[in-house]
Amino acid sequence: MNPRENPAAPYLEVQGLVKTFGNDRAVDNISFSAPQGGFVTLLGPSGCGKTTTLMCIAGLHKLDAGEIRVGETIYTSAARHVFLPPEKRDIGMVFQSYAIWPHMTVAANVAYPLEMRGIARAEIDERVNEVLRLVGLGDMADKLATQLSGGQQQRAALARAIVSRPRLLLFDEPLSNLDLKLREQMRIELKRIQHEVGITSVYVTHDQSEALVMSDEIIVMSKGRIEQRGGPREIYARPVNRYVSNFIGVANMLEGTVVRVSAPGRGEFEVAHGNARIHLPCRLGEGVGEGSPAVLSVRPEDVRATREDGGNPGFAGEVLQTIFLGNCLDCRVLCGAFEWKVLAHPRTRLRRGERVFLRLDPERSLAVMP
Amino acid sequence: MRTPAALGVLDGAPAENRWRALITQESVSTIVASVVIAAVVLLPLAAMVVSSFLVMDGFGFSSNWGLGNYRAMVEDRIIKQAFVNTLMISTGSTMLATVLGVSLAWINARTNCPWREKLEPFNLIPFFLSPFVGAIAWHDLASPKIGLLNALARDMFGIQGAIVNVDNIYGIIWVTGIFFTPLVYLFVVGSLRRMDPSLEDSARTTGAGLLRTTLTVTLPLVLPGILSGAIIVFVTSAGEFGVPFKLGAPYGWETLTTQIFSKAVGDDANYYMGAAMSMTLGAITAFLVWIQQRIIAPREFTTVTGKGFRPNVVDLGKWKWAALGYNLAFVLFAVVIPLVGLLIVSLHPVWQGRIIPADLTFHNYARVLFWWRGDHIDAATNGIGNSVILAFAGASIAMALAIPVSYMIHRTKGYGSRVLDFLCVVPIGFPGIVLAMGVLVTYIKTPIYATLWILLLGYITRFFPYGQRNIASVMLAVSEELDQSSRMAGASWFTTLKRVTLPLLKPGIFAGWVLLFIIFLRELSISIILYSTGTETLSVGVYYLSNFENEPLTAALSIAQTVILLVSVVVFRRLAGREALTA
Repeated sequence: MNPRENPAAPYLEVQGLVKTFGNDRAVDNISFSAPQGGFVTLLGPSGCGKTTTLMCIAGLHKLDAGEIRVGETIYTSAARHVFLPPEKRDIGMVFQSYAIWPHMTVAANVAYPLEMRGIARAEIDERVNEVLRLVGLGDMADKLATQLSGGQQQRAALARAIVSRPRLLLFDEPLSNLDLKLREQMRIELKRIQHEVGITSVYVTHDQSEALVMSDEIIVMSKGRIEQRGGPREIYARPVNRYVSNFIGVANMLEGTVVRVSAPGRGEFEVAHGNARIHLPCRLGEGVGEGSPAVLSVRPEDVRATREDGGNPGFAGEVLQTIFLGNCLDCRVLCGAFEWKVLAHPRTRLRRGERVFLRLDPERSLAVMP
Repeated sequence: MRTPAALGVLDGAPAENRWRALITQESVSTIVASVVIAAVVLLPLAAMVVSSFLVMDGFGFSSNWGLGNYRAMVEDRIIKQAFVNTLMISTGSTMLATVLGVSLAWINARTNCPWREKLEPFNLIPFFLSPFVGAIAWHDLASPKIGLLNALARDMFGIQGAIVNVDNIYGIIWVTGIFFTPLVYLFVVGSLRRMDPSLEDSARTTGAGLLRTTLTVTLPLVLPGILSGAIIVFVTSAGEFGVPFKLGAPYGWETLTTQIFSKAVGDDANYYMGAAMSMTLGAITAFLVWIQQRIIAPREFTTVTGKGFRPNVVDLGKWKWAALGYNLAFVLFAVVIPLVGLLIVSLHPVWQGRIIPADLTFHNYARVLFWWRGDHIDAATNGIGNSVILAFAGASIAMALAIPVSYMIHRTKGYGSRVLDFLCVVPIGFPGIVLAMGVLVTYIKTPIYATLWILLLGYITRFFPYGQRNIASVMLAVSEELDQSSRMAGASWFTTLKRVTLPLLKPGIFAGWVLLFIIFLRELSISIILYSTGTETLSVGVYYLSNFENEPLTAALSIAQTVILLVSVVVFRRLAGREALTA
């Protein structure tokens, strides 16, 4: 079966990847794949093994076990003693520091990969101009790399990575050195350009909002292992455990027990509240069954705070703090010993010390593994 | 999904793949460079250790294994005294150089002393000149009979005898101390300049006065730099040959280096005894350098940030003129007076301590420089040509070796890179004369003995770490991602080296090359062990004239060498900018 004929078939395949540094298993049996033209993000805190995984795909690290293939080519395989050197892999890569060569002009930087592929000068010039226009550096071709701003270096690095139309694009936290505003702008732009050139991409970041905006698929990693993989909506709405729920966005985490499974994927969660025990209807995440200890994850925007007691299920509490953020009101509400994070509508004029009632939406309360 | 065709081929040849994966441009180049470095560094040291246990019989014909050499060292009165003298000279010159170096660095980096930017290059001049020449100059100025200063004192004040005498251990300490002052200066001035002023400002805001801040914040931050400088001066003084040879040995003040020299050449040559003495001196210096490299250097604060700080400047008030006077006095005594004295002596047909205007002549220069003249002196005229050849070739070969070595130390991780890093520190631990003894016993029975090649080998062995350090400092500042992105763009390791790595390292390569070029132009203690007739170097020429000809001829070649060194320094500084020669 030829992967090019089936758009959903895996194009990049990483299988059983293991990489150790001394006694430290930086990457511990990672497997994932990406379809042709797909955009996969490896997301996790620093030290989770995401950059090491990327370096193994690039061929800048040798792996200890596992196999990496793109299309029909084996890039590296520990068992078969195959190791394709980085320059033979036909990969474009954007580094965290951009790595634009300071002793060359922008055009020379971008032309470099084409020269390495032995392409004729006339075609090189044409393609360099074309790709510089695509990234918005059309009039910067003759500038030295050191004369560019951070954002422009970023664009030049992207141009250099895509100019040879490689089989794979790798991004190693490319936006982490930019300021917030530029970062938000570049996210959209990067995604647009990647979509336009249609090159399969692996993107490494620790910024969850970046991952949500850009990816077709997110792989959440921790301590060298994959915690969860799925689309941005799925990861956000149905995190499989406390770690993922905490890492993607903000969530209230109540510890308790699942006491009843009412329907497939639906149940009741019991949580201690003062001396009482409150039962909350909720959805059940993967691996959570009757009697299992679990964590109830509720996003701050899914908690409703009202002055009137709206009946069960709900909590009564006291407003500790309100912060006006323009488009919403960020509140802290103390119920028993638990401090809730609540995002309220900016027109709800809650005040500090006020008594409020919190109501949860059962459809948006998810019991996950602790 | 898997394509059987591709897998079938691969399944057939896993073993071959394993071997092919090991043979890459990168691994072959770095392994070759490592093996060369290991051989060059370890062979002489090993040969020296082995031969120090060979004891020559009374006739010098045959030898036996044993500890006789070491026993002789403990029993021999002269060697014991040489050992004590060496320690005293090193201690004294370290104290002198540290006091001078730290105070001058502080004045230049942290006070409002007038003209301090203009004075800085002059403070560094002794660093580029030959201490041997300094000793000759001070001998001509302040030896009891022919010293110019003593003669002037006798003529002007009618006193008897001499007012100063440098032909003793104090003269050696004086000359070594002022010549190695720039070493301490360079170690300290960087951390004083690059220190974040907010470190001191925050101390001041807590109520600490200027003196208290200096003692509790500034000094502790600079202390590792001072200690590093002091240890390097101690080790360099212990290995210094030229100064004690000129001012000590003829007057009964022997040091370990002059003793090693007498065992390497001359009538009572005993290489095995020389090797044993070299081992002893080398063990001491290597231990001290090890302490400096592994314990003190990591605590230095010179490279905390790349930010351009404007350091706090202390207003000295009226005392700034005293500071200026102090700095001018150093330049006067370290550079101006000795060179003027040498120049005066070099213009006289014979030197009796008195300036005789009617006799002034350039004849001495003609005899030591113009090889086509009938009355030229071979040892002197050979020197310039040989030294220029050795400096060019030595600096170029050493830098060519240093590139793959630095690459392996700083761009690959693993056991090999740590071993190589260690090998690059080892030669720094051994004085030139010690390493030269090792090179001599290693290669004496090979065809390279008595050629320029053995000198070249000695120079590179001893000094290539200095070049390597220059490259390393740039390499550490250049992100590895610049190399990696070239590989990702489809360039091989060699192409990456040629088009990305080397162009980016150019400043470090040039700085290292220039430093080695200067060092090789004035090198004495290796050359003196390894030269033979026809392969004299500049410094060996000076030695020859001093030993077998007269003072004016010696002074003439000394001045010639000094001019060549100063011109090189000025030209290279123009080419490379002011940082180049102080790295």
